[in-house]
Amino acid sequence: MPSLSFLKSIGKNFIFLYKSNFKFRLGFTLILILFILGFTVSPFSPTSTRTWYAVPRDRPPSPEYLLGTSSMGRDVFWELCASIGKSLTIALITAMIASHIGLFIGLISGIRGGLLDRFLMFVSDTFIIVPGFLLLIVVISIIKSWITIPLLGAIISIVSWPWPARQVRSMVLSLRERTFVYTAKLSGMRTSKVLLFEIMPYVLGWHLVNFTNTILFSIGTESGLAIFGLSILGDNTLGVMLYWALNYYALFRGIWWWITAPIVTLVLIFISFYLISIGLSEHLHRIIG
Amino acid sequence: MEPVLKAVNLKGGYLLGSLYASASQQGSYVDAVSDVSLELFRNEIFGIAGESGCGKSTLIKMLYGYLEPPLVLKDGLVYLYTKEGKEISITSLSKERLKREVFWRHISYIPQSSMNVLNPTMRVRDHFAEMLKLHANMSKEEAYKEAGKYVEYMGLPIDVLAAFPHQLSGGMRQRVVISLALLMRPDLILADEPTSALDVINQQAVLTMLRDSQESFKNTIVIVSHDMGVHGVITRRVAIMYAGRIVEIGKTEEIFEDPLHPYTQALIKALPRLGDKAQRKGLSGHPPDLKNPPLGCRFRPRCPSYGPQCREETPTLIEVKPGRYVECWLYST
Amino acid sequence: MLHASKKSLLEYLATRTIMYFATIFSGITLTYLLVKAMPVDAVENIIFGLTQTVAGVYDPQSINKLREDLYEIFGLTGKSPLEDYLIFIRRVFTFNFGPSFISFPTPAFELVLRRLPWTIGLLSVSTAITWITGNLLGTIAGYFRTRKFTKVLESIAISLYPVPYYIMALILMLLFAFLIPIFPLGGGISVIPESLNLELILNIIWHSLLPALSLILPGALGWSFLSSRTLTLEVLSEDYTRYAEFRGLPGKHVLRRYVLRNILVPQVTVLALSLGGIFSGALLTEVIFAYPGVGSLAYRAAFAGDINTLMAVLILSMVAVSTAIYLLDLLYPLVDPRIRYR
Ligand SMILES: Nc1ncnc2c1ncn2[C@@H]1O[C@H](COP(=O)(O)OP(=O)(O)OP(=O)(O)O)[C@@H](O)[C@H]1O
Ligand code: SF4
Ligand SMILES: [Mg+2]
Repeated sequence: MPSLSFLKSIGKNFIFLYKSNFKFRLGFTLILILFILGFTVSPFSPTSTRTWYAVPRDRPPSPEYLLGTSSMGRDVFWELCASIGKSLTIALITAMIASHIGLFIGLISGIRGGLLDRFLMFVSDTFIIVPGFLLLIVVISIIKSWITIPLLGAIISIVSWPWPARQVRSMVLSLRERTFVYTAKLSGMRTSKVLLFEIMPYVLGWHLVNFTNTILFSIGTESGLAIFGLSILGDNTLGVMLYWALNYYALFRGIWWWITAPIVTLVLIFISFYLISIGLSEHLHRIIG
Repeated sequence: MEPVLKAVNLKGGYLLGSLYASASQQGSYVDAVSDVSLELFRNEIFGIAGESGCGKSTLIKMLYGYLEPPLVLKDGLVYLYTKEGKEISITSLSKERLKREVFWRHISYIPQSSMNVLNPTMRVRDHFAEMLKLHANMSKEEAYKEAGKYVEYMGLPIDVLAAFPHQLSGGMRQRVVISLALLMRPDLILADEPTSALDVINQQAVLTMLRDSQESFKNTIVIVSHDMGVHGVITRRVAIMYAGRIVEIGKTEEIFEDPLHPYTQALIKALPRLGDKAQRKGLSGHPPDLKNPPLGCRFRPRCPSYGPQCREETPTLIEVKPGRYVECWLYST
Repeated sequence: MLHASKKSLLEYLATRTIMYFATIFSGITLTYLLVKAMPVDAVENIIFGLTQTVAGVYDPQSINKLREDLYEIFGLTGKSPLEDYLIFIRRVFTFNFGPSFISFPTPAFELVLRRLPWTIGLLSVSTAITWITGNLLGTIAGYFRTRKFTKVLESIAISLYPVPYYIMALILMLLFAFLIPIFPLGGGISVIPESLNLELILNIIWHSLLPALSLILPGALGWSFLSSRTLTLEVLSEDYTRYAEFRGLPGKHVLRRYVLRNILVPQVTVLALSLGGIFSGALLTEVIFAYPGVGSLAYRAAFAGDINTLMAVLILSMVAVSTAIYLLDLLYPLVDPRIRYR
């Protein structure tokens, strides 16, 4: 159970990080804006972003249609906002599932060691060697017609947990060697307690980095799958926007605003989560070493 | 006696600026070499002794002239006299010119902890060959041939040449590094703790190698060691350092038989002697923090015989008899 | 003196080879388990979708044959689970993935084989270029770490690194479609191939430039650059590099023989690992540029629900990736003398 002092220390670290680390500040601000667009602004859409021909087609950006309209008769700005929200939702679901599975497996593997560790690492190595994207293509092709937003997030987790697992495990292994864990053990604490009190605070920081990286991975994977036509094509995600823009040859027909909008947004998302991730790890390296 | 190196009033240390230090150390300065003067002669083995952290390594890095941050030279001059009769001012040449014209031809350096100084991806023979190609303009074949002859001359087994560094034992690696330093027949070799990472047998082998090569090349070797035993075995003259200063210089035998400075006396007294079972008493207390050295004589906090003068004024190194220098108020009246 | 003995070499080869087959085997098992975990009516669903979209093309007999194939692949023959598994394994090791749907009844495996040279050509060349230029740039940036151009390169790398290949491909397409329309934007060739001649080869290269660039750019300025720069900084602080400078060796020599040579060792591992990721990335590049490789095939297969072809692509690329890693493993001791076929 997170105690009050624990939450306080998170808050303190966050404020310190925000003030001292430019990369983190930049990334965090960008993400905040995207979250606001995706979750707070998008419900106010005046027209539907999922029906066809809600607005006139192929209009370039103008005061009336900020980012123009698509060949499917949707307002690109509002569709973009809705897509940001849905893509982030998928990514958050993946991150919630995969990074926690990774945390759990990494902890068990690192602490217990022995045969169990070997087995778990062999499985995660397999996942690292198997082309995960293709695996997802096969799986989603089979269940294409049932796919929903939470399900998509969950399916992407299948291939996203091994990296965090490896990371947490190596973290635990290096922490085990540190003297404070020995001292705690010598003082007669049970192994599980040693873990909880001595290792967890350090691992949790890296868990946050893994969480951020998994978000990044999930958004990228969803858009890749969508280009393959393997996302929720009737809904709004950044990948689905790309899919339709590509399918309608937006580029060759000169409807550049349609395809540029999701591309620029995706690049912004990638860069800002990456900035947060490296800002976090720089901070962790400094306070833990 | 012909001089080979002269250092005049060397001052330098570690400047802990923003780049290299945590916030608490911001802008502090470690006064590791404080006003050291020294003269080395051709054809001798000279020792530098003193306990850990007294600035021995820093001093010889400054003599060598290749300073990497955070080490800075604050003041002083170093002159090198070559066998061709040239005077080289090490402290005033640029790093590039030193690299091109001075290092390895006239002066070479064996760093402390030299276990990892050979390129792990290069065979030993290529380490010799690249120096020969660079400084003697040899072709690759010539260089390999020369390396073979040289290694044999130095008494190393010929198959070290084909080995990678990690395949050699610690003692063998150290002997390779020493051979490398002697390769271009420099006037002066600075060896920092060449034996301290080795076991007794290898120490012996390395010291013998250094002495034999000195006898045949007639060069000058400076051996830095915290171990007075090493100095007793191999050096002809020795300088005793304490807290960034040289406190005594003299013939090794004289220093051992009749130490003058109170610190040297304590060092010699603490040495184990044959047939003496009594526990030797070391010095009490710690050497001073060089970020914040005491005023006056730096040895005063530990000195058994200090007087009122010692607290206020720093003593200077004076020649008490020919070739014997001491820095202590007891001897400068 | 220690030298590599014949025995340790054999041992090394044996363990590597066992590992190689073990990873392929576990990859296949993993795929089997995943596919088996899919909802039970998946097969009927696929067949239903198929008859809906291209009705009439299939006669009932071949549909039945297909149904059998699918039941075997999905491990639903009604026999014991072990038997199901063995049937699946046998199919995989005989490369028998059943007929493709998209060009029925050509075997799926054959379809993939036909496309393979295109993909391998594109990937091997662009990976090699990426790795070499990335390492050179990264090493130079590490060596001259205080120069201005290093800072510029670093900012570019940090912004390129997190962007996936296919987004990079789209950006390039955007740039070259509007700003500088010089490259062909799609396809593999634009002449009619009669015989293999210079014109044809040049045409093929011309068409693969943009896809290749979209793979090289984020790699050479992204992961490859960043990792080699980090490694260079590490190697520069090693005793042996500093002692090389102390010995008066000129900077260029130190850079080549000391720094580059020593970062090569871990960079080979990075190369091996990147191969796994790059395979999936290149699939999308092919789709975006309509490059006639395995990726475009997989795209069509995914569109038509052609599970057999997708399976063939998956298993083949699994084998390709593990083989690449295996070969690099065997080459490793040549690069790093410290590892003597341990
Ligand atoms: N890179 C550095 N940065 C800051 N301080 C340093 C650095 N290197 C050495 N020092 C400090 O300078 C002083 C002299 O160090 P030096 O290495 O010259 O001592 P030494 O006599 O060679 O000791 P040892 O016998 O341990 O090698 C010490 O107080 C040491 O802590
Ligand atoms: S100067 Fe004074 S304090 Fe220093 S060593 Fe001599 S007697 Fe001792
Ligand atoms: Mg030292």
